[in-house]
Amino acid sequence: MPSQDTSSKQKQPVVKCESVYKIFGENAEKMLQSSNGKVDAKEFQDAGCVVGVNNASFEVHHGEMLVIMGLSGSGKSTLLRCISRLTDTTAGQIFIEGEDLLALSGKELIELRRNKMGMVFQSFALLPHKTVLENIAFPLQVKGNSTKDSMIRAMEMVELVGLDGRENYFPRELSGGQQQRVGIARSLAVEPDIWFLDEPFSALDPLIRKEMQDEFLRLQGVLNKTILFVTHDFDEALRLADRIAIMKDGIIEQLDTPANIVLNPATEYVRKFTEEVPREKVLKIETVMEPLDSSEELADLKVSKDAIIETVAEAVLNEQKPIAVVDENDKIVGVIHNSKVIHVLFGDNKEETND
Amino acid sequence: MDYLKNNPKLVQLGVVLIGFVVLILMTGQYSEIIDVRDGFTKAVEKGQIVPVTGFSESVSMILSGQLPPQFVRIPELNFLNLVVSTSIVYILTTLLIMAGLIFNNYYSKIQSSKISLIDWFKRYWTKLFLYVIISIFGGFFVAPTLFTWFFGEPGTSSFWDLPIIVTDYGNFLMYEWFPIQVYDPDIEEFEDKALIFQITRGISAALLFCIALIREILLGGVKTIVAFTSWDWLSENEWAYWPALPWTVVCATTTMLGYALQGRGLAMLACFGTLYISIFGQWEPSMETLSFVLIAAPVSVILGLFFGVWSYKSKSVEVVLAPLLNIAQSLPHFSYLVPVMVFFGIGDQAGAIATIIFATPPMIRLTLLGLKRVSPEVLDAGMMSGCHNYQLMFKVLIPTARRDILIGVNQVIMQCLAMAVIASFIGAKGLGFNLLLALNQLRVGQALELGLCIVIIAVVLDKLSMAWANKQTDYFADLPFMLRHKWSLLFGVILLIGIVLSYIGTFIFKGGINYLYLIPHTKGVTLEPMLQGGIDWFLDYFFFSLQDFNKWLIVDILLPMRESYLSMPVSATFFLVMGIGYIVGGIRSALIVGLCLLFIALLEWWDRALITAYMASFGVIASAIIGITAGSLCAQNKLASKVILLLCDTFQTFPSFVYLIPVMILFGVTDTTVLIAVIIYATIPATRYTVEGLNSVPEDLQDAGSMSGVSRIQRWVKIELPLAFPHIMLGVNQTVIFALFMVIIGAFIGTEDLGQFIIKALSDKQGIGNGLLLGLCVASIGLTVDHLIQTWASRRRKLLGIN
Amino acid sequence: MKKFTSKVAAAALVMTLASVSGQTLAADSTKPIVIPTHNWSSQVVMAYVIGGIFEDMGNNVEYVSADTQGVYESIRNGDVTISHEVWQSTFGASFYAAMAKGGLIDAGTHAALTLEEVGVPQWVVDNNMCPGLPDYKALIDCYEVFATVDSGGKGRILEGPQSWHGTEYPDRVEALLGDNWVVKFAGSADALWADHVAAEKEGRATLTFNWTPNFTDGAGFVFIEWPEYYLGCRKQDGGDSKCGSPKGWLKKAANYKFPKTHPAAYMAFSRMSFDAGQIGSMAALVDLEGMSHKDAATKWLADNEDTWRAMTGVGM
Repeated sequence: MPSQDTSSKQKQPVVKCESVYKIFGENAEKMLQSSNGKVDAKEFQDAGCVVGVNNASFEVHHGEMLVIMGLSGSGKSTLLRCISRLTDTTAGQIFIEGEDLLALSGKELIELRRNKMGMVFQSFALLPHKTVLENIAFPLQVKGNSTKDSMIRAMEMVELVGLDGRENYFPRELSGGQQQRVGIARSLAVEPDIWFLDEPFSALDPLIRKEMQDEFLRLQGVLNKTILFVTHDFDEALRLADRIAIMKDGIIEQLDTPANIVLNPATEYVRKFTEEVPREKVLKIETVMEPLDSSEELADLKVSKDAIIETVAEAVLNEQKPIAVVDENDKIVGVIHNSKVIHVLFGDNKEETND
Repeated sequence: MDYLKNNPKLVQLGVVLIGFVVLILMTGQYSEIIDVRDGFTKAVEKGQIVPVTGFSESVSMILSGQLPPQFVRIPELNFLNLVVSTSIVYILTTLLIMAGLIFNNYYSKIQSSKISLIDWFKRYWTKLFLYVIISIFGGFFVAPTLFTWFFGEPGTSSFWDLPIIVTDYGNFLMYEWFPIQVYDPDIEEFEDKALIFQITRGISAALLFCIALIREILLGGVKTIVAFTSWDWLSENEWAYWPALPWTVVCATTTMLGYALQGRGLAMLACFGTLYISIFGQWEPSMETLSFVLIAAPVSVILGLFFGVWSYKSKSVEVVLAPLLNIAQSLPHFSYLVPVMVFFGIGDQAGAIATIIFATPPMIRLTLLGLKRVSPEVLDAGMMSGCHNYQLMFKVLIPTARRDILIGVNQVIMQCLAMAVIASFIGAKGLGFNLLLALNQLRVGQALELGLCIVIIAVVLDKLSMAWANKQTDYFADLPFMLRHKWSLLFGVILLIGIVLSYIGTFIFKGGINYLYLIPHTKGVTLEPMLQGGIDWFLDYFFFSLQDFNKWLIVDILLPMRESYLSMPVSATFFLVMGIGYIVGGIRSALIVGLCLLFIALLEWWDRALITAYMASFGVIASAIIGITAGSLCAQNKLASKVILLLCDTFQTFPSFVYLIPVMILFGVTDTTVLIAVIIYATIPATRYTVEGLNSVPEDLQDAGSMSGVSRIQRWVKIELPLAFPHIMLGVNQTVIFALFMVIIGAFIGTEDLGQFIIKALSDKQGIGNGLLLGLCVASIGLTVDHLIQTWASRRRKLLGIN
Repeated sequence: MKKFTSKVAAAALVMTLASVSGQTLAADSTKPIVIPTHNWSSQVVMAYVIGGIFEDMGNNVEYVSADTQGVYESIRNGDVTISHEVWQSTFGASFYAAMAKGGLIDAGTHAALTLEEVGVPQWVVDNNMCPGLPDYKALIDCYEVFATVDSGGKGRILEGPQSWHGTEYPDRVEALLGDNWVVKFAGSADALWADHVAAEKEGRATLTFNWTPNFTDGAGFVFIEWPEYYLGCRKQDGGDSKCGSPKGWLKKAANYKFPKTHPAAYMAFSRMSFDAGQIGSMAALVDLEGMSHKDAATKWLADNEDTWRAMTGVGM
């Protein structure tokens, strides 16, 4: 692949949605046409239609993890299914790496899925008649790879998700967490560019869920995929996301970084979620740092501007002097004071912070 | 009072029962003659009673508490002059109605949404079925009836001509429609052969070729060679004969297959099974049976999968198939023997086709059920893995649904072997035919041995196919050629050893019999004297003690029951059945069961149908009681459950004809004998579904029960039974179907019901029509009960929140 | 339909011509002759006997198991070539029905006269359970001896399946025996034999339908003597049904193409005429000596080679 192509790809959004609508019901299309893009859920419901996704527009860039958060029935899974074209969109446009997804023929769609997409499901969706290894190798075999190559690649994936020794087990012989590891391994087997995860950890116990999230972050650290992650768990969203889209009744209420969502909830609905969120768990040092004042004497400790407050709080509080905040190039971009950290940790959440 | 208010269904039931009794009491002057079979008809023939009264007279009769005769029996529905006519005028009427309906549909659809003709056809083609039915009904029945009402002479209803009409059309289609010239080299002449005849014989020939191929691999022969050359070539080349595999090879190969597919257990089973068949000298008939089962079963499975998948894909196909499946399921196999024979000839292929018709419906049902149960996420996962439609179906959907599909395969194998005997009526060779032959000489012991062979083939085939479906592959074994192909190599070795052995055999054994090649029937070991002795002892020992029981049963229960069924006036039967239909499923159910009854009532076999109903209902009640009790007891224990399910399998394939004879000797040619056979057979589903239903009651509910301190009995009565009840009712539903089947087979003992006429139809001039319509009468009884139970069970399940 | 009839006529013509022209027959087709086997011994053995004769002539033969009533339809369609035991009273109706539709021809009659009639097992007579047997008049008074549990105290006659003779026996019983008798239709021949066994155990007299030659001949069976049969005595023929069964014929049937495709075999087949003794001896090899049907046929052919060669003119 020529290099200029790669660079243009970097800039181009991997996934781009423009005014995507998904409305279930018999005369959805007609109703949508007559409504001129302004969809009132209630009006549609009276006509026997259910609004799944209502005018969703956003972009996801390479290597970014967008978490779509919402309660059940908010349309978050529907949106994901639209982007993976498991359901047909009622109106709007979706581009995958610049290609019009909705214009693809059946064959092209299959090619796209075989090479660029991977998906993990809430209830794992493993094939009960295949072993762990066969399940993971399935997308490869479907693609037409030779059995031998598929199995070798699948075995690598088994090792990647830490299931070595269990490759000949059947799904029914595994625990929930292990089954989801298989699901993850399967979705990664074809080395997809875009990774869809539909509530992958919802069916798991809290302890396992935590473990799997760590595992997931580890994998993402290694693989650096473009990810669309659906969850109904706000904490999970905060923990994993680069950006979060909060959905309600098919509408994206707010789409922003975790910090901005916590700090500046756009609507009342979003605010309700953020109220109980401990900010130190969300906010990065960057959001509480102050401009560098050369008169101040800085401590020896340096913290990254991307560090979550909670993770560095103890160290910061142990220092008497202000602490330098550095960017990825180790250049000092600001300072942080104890008082600010104490304020974040123990202060009144509702009070507006700076920025 | 409040209690009644809260239970409106009870009140409705009360009203229905009271109305029913009142109607029965109103039979008055006819009550004496209708409790005998054909009593009413005979009385009419002798001129003792008038079959029909006019309107005013009827009203005055009803007012004086006496049903008019046409409400007691519908002899020919003269009072309505229902007419069926297929003369050219009405054929045109029919076509007109059809065209009108289609045009109307097309026009209205075109108006509302602009679609092309092809799209319209694609979307609404299933409607055509409905239109055809409506227009046939309207053109051949409603129009002529109306015509005679207004313009015609008052005559008799021509509904009874229906069998003749069906036969005529069948014959027309088969022998006259679309004649083509076919050269017959045998008589060196061109002949007119109807198109359908050519097509069906073509199918026959293809099937027969497949059967012959397998048969000749197992038993040797020349037909396969002939298929590629000709009989002339064969007679010129005396050496051309395909030799049979020595039995040792087949035996060892089956054992090897068992070992390769599952392990030692299955290998032992396969080995003992084939050894038994060979040593007992049943090799030839068993292989004959096997060869047609090996064709019929895969064809049924493939057809079942095909239609199952198709109806999963297309809602409209499902809608069309559902009632057809219902009918096919409750249509007695004897009723389609004649049509199969006419259309496909006689021989193994006809047997195979009858078997396929019988075995495919459960496969379709279970495939559809299994596919519907696949979780949508698995489907999504398949799509996201980039599957083609084809890959999605064969690599994702079908394998995921395979639990149900495998149950379907199991059922197909069981049904195929259950048909082994019946299929021999239309030419299937093998165990079934030999069994009938043995029974005809009253050699029950021999029949028992043959029956055992059928069961063994069923069990071994079933286990092998299950093992094959569950087989696992090892991908990382980097094996050398020898090991990778070890089974094929082993087969080669077996073949070689077998041939060498049988060659050596020709030196050891003199007298033309080579025991290492084939053990002929007369030289096999036989337990016949022992079995026969056992049966004789059993008969001698129980004979007299059972005579009193038999007498009591017949005199005190069966005869009164039969009389009470016969003494029901037609109107009372309708009132009762439709009333129950209304209570169970509202107006819709009432109409459906009403139509089923009307179908029977309009044909000439109402009395016979009542007798069938009497025997079936006695059989069902007894089977349900026995089956549910036995099932409940066995469900308490894992091992007992397993054993009872195995017994169910055995009895399902074991040919009922074998135990008919001893039972007939014990109880004579009476209804008792028929009913015992019915009960033995119909208890199977009741037991099976009870065990399954009870085993599927969620554990936590059972635990909850235990924690509330209920006793074992209480837990059973209060928790397990109610929860398993809908499932058990489906078992009862199957029991009804099985009972009807067996009542029809009971005609071979001697009954006076529909079955006797179905058997008679085998030799009738109107065999096709009579057989099919009689079969549909039986199916109507089955459908009525089926509809009531299914509706009730599904409502109940919804109420309990069980899926 | 008409075409079929004309074909039959043509076939008959060819047949006559062929028989006139004597031995100048065309060679038989090598296509196999399909012989049906039914579910009683003598028929099966005879099938193999006839098959053996055909094979001796160099023909190919195939056997197919068939229903006794349905077989005539199959012969008509050419799925089965011949039928060698057409019993007058039991299969006569089906035989003539198929012949009327066309495609089936009458290939002559066996020497054996058959009798199909109701009667009692030998021991009923030996024990003198109903004095005066086998005269039918004796039955009028001793109906109670023949009562069964479900006959309501009346004497019961166990008839074969209703498809065999329709209402012939009910008519006759009504005309000759009166109200104290009922006719019960058994479903199959097996039911008749089972009733013999049961009745003997119970020591109850039983009156059942039976025929000769049959394997029951060995144990002894006494047919009831009814008033002599004459043409038209039956109710359906306009009579009063006060008559017994005639001595019946045992016919052979063939597909209408058979004379043309296998002229020599047809010639031999039409000449075959077995008598009661020969049929009995075939059945006895199986029923009494326990041989397999095929072995019995081989043995019979070997033992009676002169007889059948003389009869059919094969290999003479």
